Amino acid sequence: MLARSGIRPGFRLVFWREVGWLWRRPFLLGLATIVPLTQMAFLAAVFSAGLATRLPIGVLDLDSSDLSRTIIRMVDATPDSAVAVRVGDLAEGRSLILSGKIHGLLMLPLYLQRDVFAGRRPEVVFFYNTQTLTTGNLTARGVNAAVPTAAAGIRLTLRSAQGEPLDLAEADLQPIPVQTHALFNPTLNYVFFLLTALIPSVLQVVMVTTSAYSVGLDVETPYRLRILRSLGGGLWPAMAGKILPYTILFLLVLGLSDTLLFVVLGLPLRGHPWLLIMTGVLFILSCQLLGALLAVLLKPTLSAVSIATLVTAPAFGFMGIGFPRLGMNAFAYAWGELLPGTWYLTARIDQTIRGTPVDLSFKPLFVLAAFAVGLAGLVAWKLESMRRSTHRIEDRNAPQPLAKVPS
Amino acid sequence: MSGLLHAFRNELRRIFTVKPAFSVLILGAAFYALFYPQPYLNEALRNVPIAVVDRDGTQSSRDFARRVDATPDVAITEVLPDLASAEREVFARRVDGILVIPQYFERDLMHGRPSPVALYADASYFLIYQRVAGAVGAVARTVGAEVEAARLIAIGVDPAIAVVAPDPMPLTAVPIFNPEAGYATYVLPAAFVLILQQMLLMGVGLLGTLPGADFAGDDARRRRLSPVTLMAGKLLAYLALEAVILPIYLIVLPYLYGLPRLGVIVPILIFAVPFVLSVSGLGFVVAGILRRPIRVALILAALGLPLFMIAGFSWPSEAIPPFIRLISFLVPSTSAIDGFVKLSQLGAPLAAAKSELFTLCALAVFYNLIGLWQMVRNTEPVNPMVSENASPAS
Repeated sequence: MLARSGIRPGFRLVFWREVGWLWRRPFLLGLATIVPLTQMAFLAAVFSAGLATRLPIGVLDLDSSDLSRTIIRMVDATPDSAVAVRVGDLAEGRSLILSGKIHGLLMLPLYLQRDVFAGRRPEVVFFYNTQTLTTGNLTARGVNAAVPTAAAGIRLTLRSAQGEPLDLAEADLQPIPVQTHALFNPTLNYVFFLLTALIPSVLQVVMVTTSAYSVGLDVETPYRLRILRSLGGGLWPAMAGKILPYTILFLLVLGLSDTLLFVVLGLPLRGHPWLLIMTGVLFILSCQLLGALLAVLLKPTLSAVSIATLVTAPAFGFMGIGFPRLGMNAFAYAWGELLPGTWYLTARIDQTIRGTPVDLSFKPLFVLAAFAVGLAGLVAWKLESMRRSTHRIEDRNAPQPLAKVPS
Repeated sequence: MSGLLHAFRNELRRIFTVKPAFSVLILGAAFYALFYPQPYLNEALRNVPIAVVDRDGTQSSRDFARRVDATPDVAITEVLPDLASAEREVFARRVDGILVIPQYFERDLMHGRPSPVALYADASYFLIYQRVAGAVGAVARTVGAEVEAARLIAIGVDPAIAVVAPDPMPLTAVPIFNPEAGYATYVLPAAFVLILQQMLLMGVGLLGTLPGADFAGDDARRRRLSPVTLMAGKLLAYLALEAVILPIYLIVLPYLYGLPRLGVIVPILIFAVPFVLSVSGLGFVVAGILRRPIRVALILAALGLPLFMIAGFSWPSEAIPPFIRLISFLVPSTSAIDGFVKLSQLGAPLAAAKSELFTLCALAVFYNLIGLWQMVRNTEPVNPMVSENASPAS
């Protein structure tokens, strides 16, 4: 129809039709832009602190001696933990932990000071809540740093009491000190660890579901699919024109949130920007084509969107950020391999904080390219076979009744 | 009363007969129960591969490396001549850490000087960093204590005191509620609550937007059911459904996956009532705002991950900006995850979760009232123009 009135069919026609379509459908446009951007702004706000410091713990001081007070002061002085309450007994501490007001309880036993100086090795006990693993481990790190420091002072006293010169005694305190270097993220900042990985993960869900929906709008009714194809003047230009407007939108969304990360939150960019951008484009294309494939395979569109959600919503766990993939069972490892996000995150971590040499970073790039090509091939093959089967039906008998309009 | 029963039975029937709702509420529940926990089932990282650069090459340095290798947390997979080649192995992701034992390691130990080792651990994955740093640190302390005791004995300290002196005040850190510090134990109880919320939200949202939502069964009875009855009937149906699914998720699944738990069943079930009601209420509101099933599916799909991040699990709630924290309480999962975890994992009494319980009750009332208002507003004009018409999806 349109094609006959002087407009040349081709990629540009489909592209601009899609852009006009987006403009007239604020929901679709919002879904591809405002929804992911809002989520990313929200997540950035959640993690904006970067480091969690001064997490509250409780102290049960049964000794009330100089030594116990020193320990409490030192624990309070570490960046990780803060002594929020003094409790009277274990039961009180327990109920405070249960209510979530404190994350750990440091117990200093009766006669601590006396027993330490008598060489009876009294135990200092720290109970910490590992049900919330991150928080619990952070408080334990604080206490683990403070108590040995307090103990070092005592050890020094014990040695000088034996007549050992002070400088020698100091050197003796730690025969094998470990100089630990946290590679790539020296401050252990959560923005560089979790937030930068969460952003592509959220975008992955949005991209796959949105693509399934927008392609579904065309695929659900056979005549619309045929219009799209004749507008494009062929299968490939039609597919490209349909998909590219969204690619540009998603690229803008990813670019905007990455700008926020790099400029405002200070994520280091130690690798090659072009590699990061290339893998980003391939990641977006793979997700879009995955959505498109679900839309051409599954009808109605609602099922395609549901399956897209089912695949992508729990994907974060499989991509191995919180719990690394090297600890996963075979199934989870293999499933992670099949997600575009896994490869993009690998490349992203390599090219942002790690600064991996280029020659070691090609694998994710090639895998993502293979995903994009393979998925495009599958979508084209399915569309082609759909066309052939409708042709056959049309040849055989009267025009087929129109499927009902989606509501 | 029979109207209520009718609405209840009708909604229960729709759960099983409306296909999209059935796939979310029943099939989705079954699928997630099996699929979601998979990455975490090994609980902990073991044998994280690290490389050793031994510049000393003595008995002591080899012994130190062997003891690091013997810990369950790390495994020495490569022995390399220099730091540069080891660095490349880290970039290639073949090892996750480098232990450098400098030259004269043994000589310095023998001379009674501090003899440091250097550890470069990959901090682009925090769990890996923790494992590697923890294992090497622990070995260095143990070996150090032995060396120190031997030195003290050498300078004439009584052996009994020499053994005590390196560690006069041992610190025992006791992890409670998750004694293995396992990842599945940490993440699954919270994730299950979020999955329950997302599925119920999606199910209620779909049931509220798919045809047949605004009347209870046959048209003859339609006019006689007040919105309050209709809604109460629906809520009862969701409660009945969750009476089966929620205990499976929060009691049976943790048991099957072997997660340690201390909770008692009754408080969990009591807490579940306002949870289900508030999520259902939110589902009504979502359905009322979005109006079309496909929109419900699309909008809810993307929300799961951010909602998990604000629940104070992956990231301490103390570090979340107060304003964001306040907003997050509008979503049932924030309070529900906290509350359910306390009740089922920590074995807390209901009193310890009373603020969460209160929040959920308030949310339940709030959302259901809004949902009711939406329903009244939508059914008020009797002409059928406003009901679902074939309008192009947008």
